[in-house]
Amino acid sequence: MRPAPPPTPPHKGKGSSGGPPPIEARGLRKVFRQATSGQAVVAIDRLDLDIAPREVVAIVGQTGCGKSTFFDLMIGLEAPSEGTLTIGGRSPHGNFDFFRGRIATVFQQDRLLPWRSALDNARLPLELIGLPEDQQRERALAWLNRLGLGNFTNAYPHELSGGMRQRVAIARAFAVEPDILLADEAFGHLDEVTAAELRETFLKLARECGSTAILITHQLEEAIGVGDRIVVFGKSAKLLADIHVKTWPKSKYGVLREAIQATLQSNRPDPRLHDPRPAVGKNKPRKGARLSK
Amino acid sequence: MTSTEEQRGAVIDLNFPRQTLVSLLVFAVCWEALSHAAPYFGIPPFAIPSFVKIAQAIAHITPVDIAVTLARVIGALIASFVLGVSLAMAMYRSATLDNYLHPMIRILMAVPVVSWILFAVLWFPGVEFRIGFVLVVVCGPVFLVDTLDAMRGVPRELRQMMQSFRPTTLQYFRKLILPAIVPTIFTSWKVNISLAIRVVTIAELVGAVTGIGHQLSVAQELFSVSDVFAWTIVLVALLFLLEALVARVEARLLRWRT
Repeated sequence: MRPAPPPTPPHKGKGSSGGPPPIEARGLRKVFRQATSGQAVVAIDRLDLDIAPREVVAIVGQTGCGKSTFFDLMIGLEAPSEGTLTIGGRSPHGNFDFFRGRIATVFQQDRLLPWRSALDNARLPLELIGLPEDQQRERALAWLNRLGLGNFTNAYPHELSGGMRQRVAIARAFAVEPDILLADEAFGHLDEVTAAELRETFLKLARECGSTAILITHQLEEAIGVGDRIVVFGKSAKLLADIHVKTWPKSKYGVLREAIQATLQSNRPDPRLHDPRPAVGKNKPRKGARLSK
Repeated sequence: MTSTEEQRGAVIDLNFPRQTLVSLLVFAVCWEALSHAAPYFGIPPFAIPSFVKIAQAIAHITPVDIAVTLARVIGALIASFVLGVSLAMAMYRSATLDNYLHPMIRILMAVPVVSWILFAVLWFPGVEFRIGFVLVVVCGPVFLVDTLDAMRGVPRELRQMMQSFRPTTLQYFRKLILPAIVPTIFTSWKVNISLAIRVVTIAELVGAVTGIGHQLSVAQELFSVSDVFAWTIVLVALLFLLEALVARVEARLLRWRT
């Protein structure tokens, strides 16, 4: 069955420039106090990061490195302890309501409402924005069709497979046509084939929508396959490496993968990340790879 | 469902009423036998009336009293529900309110029903108000505590997901919290129906001139065990009826679960 044509490109009058705003973290720091022991846990330690509009960025790191905390700060569910995190100059936590309809998230578990059908789940954020009901249904249906769920719009989540539920969650996020798309290990719970398929669809749709997309993943293959840029987080979200994937030829992806892995394991930038093409100017730092100290 | 599973289901359905009927029959036979054998055991004749007497008593049931009791129960349950859920929503949103009210609620729930009835009789002149008061003060806190616990039990993942899309407070309650707690609300209703019928019976026994509880008091004064029996059967039937009603509505609203 041919998928329905994509929805008309969104009216991007939301941002001042007509596109997604840039994201900026400066000296970002998040400290949690453990409830039981009262000990301070530094989840993010002075992070500086810039993400340009429409970039697709993969954030890689080991478990507990602060990726999910960064995510919560991006969504605006938590406030930074110190430093700033701004999207177009506004704080997602401080200007929480401003970002309604501008940020959408795909979580690791589908997090669908069990008492709503696939269609009603997909149009939930549109209800919150206050779109007229017929527009809500139209958009949600279009995106569900786009994700191959045209025949399952009235099914309840418990009637769908894990992959299908995640697709509903993705449709829900895209129906918003957001400026900023966040995906937290969105394909982690799926089998490889389904995950690869969904990832491809996700990226294609993100580029069509013109959204900035940030994907958190612990899988290196996913990070490399994803996008424009790979940001490697070490402990407490220390920026170990910032790689522009395009500067690496496909033949060297194996090396890239190993280098990232070594970086993660040693919690220090691997020298190979310094220069993706060893044959060209060994001592000159590639402009695509930036190391932090 | 495979055909064997369907068959098994059908067989089980047939067995269930059969076993119930057998138990009831055994009880009925023993009761009737005891009723006729009573004089030989020195049991006074009014204590274990035969089924003939009981059937006569059932024939003399006054529907008005049933209607009155039912109206009191349903009216008070609705009032308790509205009060309980509203207060629960307020306490869910305000930790301060919760801290102030929670100890009071616990104390209210610890007071025995009999004390409430006596308070009501001594404080209020109006019969209907007395009964309404006792029912609401007993059932309201149950609705409140169940609802509040259920609201707090809504999974964190769903709450975070909802928050990430920036709902207003009203939207948050209407689209997430309230639908999520519907199963608990139904359970709470079933518990409260059972509680309310017990409470209304005692309240009417002590402080009313109409209703099933009052008729029980009259039966007691007349030493009529068959009347007590008859009204008790009515009460049990009422409970089953109301529970079945709630179960019907529940099945309708929770269709998405099957």
